[in-house]
Amino acid sequence: MSEQHSPRRPYLAPLTASWWLKHRYYRFYMLREATVLPLLFFCGCLIAGFYSLQQGESSWLNWLSFMAQPWVMALNALTFAASLFHAKTFFELFPRVMPLLPAPLMIAGQWLGTVAVAALLLLLLGGVL
Amino acid sequence: MNQPKRSDEPIWWALFSAGGVCFAVVIPGLLLTIALLYPLGVLPENALNYQQVQQWLLQDWWGLAGLALAGAAICLPLFHTMHRIHHGLHDLKLSSGLLGKILCYSSASLFSALALYFWWQGLG
Repeated sequence: MSEQHSPRRPYLAPLTASWWLKHRYYRFYMLREATVLPLLFFCGCLIAGFYSLQQGESSWLNWLSFMAQPWVMALNALTFAASLFHAKTFFELFPRVMPLLPAPLMIAGQWLGTVAVAALLLLLLGGVL
Repeated sequence: MNQPKRSDEPIWWALFSAGGVCFAVVIPGLLLTIALLYPLGVLPENALNYQQVQQWLLQDWWGLAGLALAGAAICLPLFHTMHRIHHGLHDLKLSSGLLGKILCYSSASLFSALALYFWWQGLG
C-alpha cells in the first residue's frame, strides 16, 4: 500500500520470542493455546481407533489395550483437563461475540451440552440405554 | 481493475470455531468414557466389544454415527488444533509466513481425509 512510500518511520519496540512469559495474562493466553497439543494426541488415538475397527477384531483389541496403557491414560487425563479448561474459556467467549441472552445463562447452557454428551455416553456404554 | 482480493480467512476461522465447539462439548465426554473410565474398569467389560462398536459406528443408520463421530471428534478438532498451532507458531516467532499456514491446514486436511477413509473402508 502507501506505507512503503511514507516518510513516517515509527518506532517498533523489539519483540522477543519470550514476550508471553512477561505477564500473567499472556501466560494464560499461551496455556489456553497449548490445550490443543494434548488434543492432537487424542485425535491421533481416534484415527488409530477407526483404522483398527476397520481392520478386524484382533486389531480392535490391540487398540483397546493401547488405550489402557498407563502413559496413554496419563496423557488422556491431561487432555481431559485441557478440554475442560478450553471449554471454560470458549463458553465465556460466546456471549461476548453473540450476546443473545444474559451471559451466565449462555455459559450454563453450553456446560449443559457438555454434561449431556458425557451423560449420554455414560448411559450408552454403561448398558443403561 | 483493482478488485479487492477475497480473503480465505473466514473458512479457517469457521472451521476453527466449529472445532472449538466440538473440543468443548463432545471431546470431554468421549475422553471421560472411552479413554479414562473404560480402561479403569469402571464401565462394563463388554461396553466396547468389537461387534457392538462395529454395529454402532459402521452398520446402524448406514454408518452415520461413525461419520458424525469422525467429523466431531477428529476432523473439526484437527482444524481447530492446526489453526491454533499456525497462529501459535507466529506468536512464538517460529513462523509467520505462508508456508506454515499451508503446512498446518494441509496436514489437518490430510489427517481428516484419512479418518474419513478408514470410516468409509469400514462400511464395506
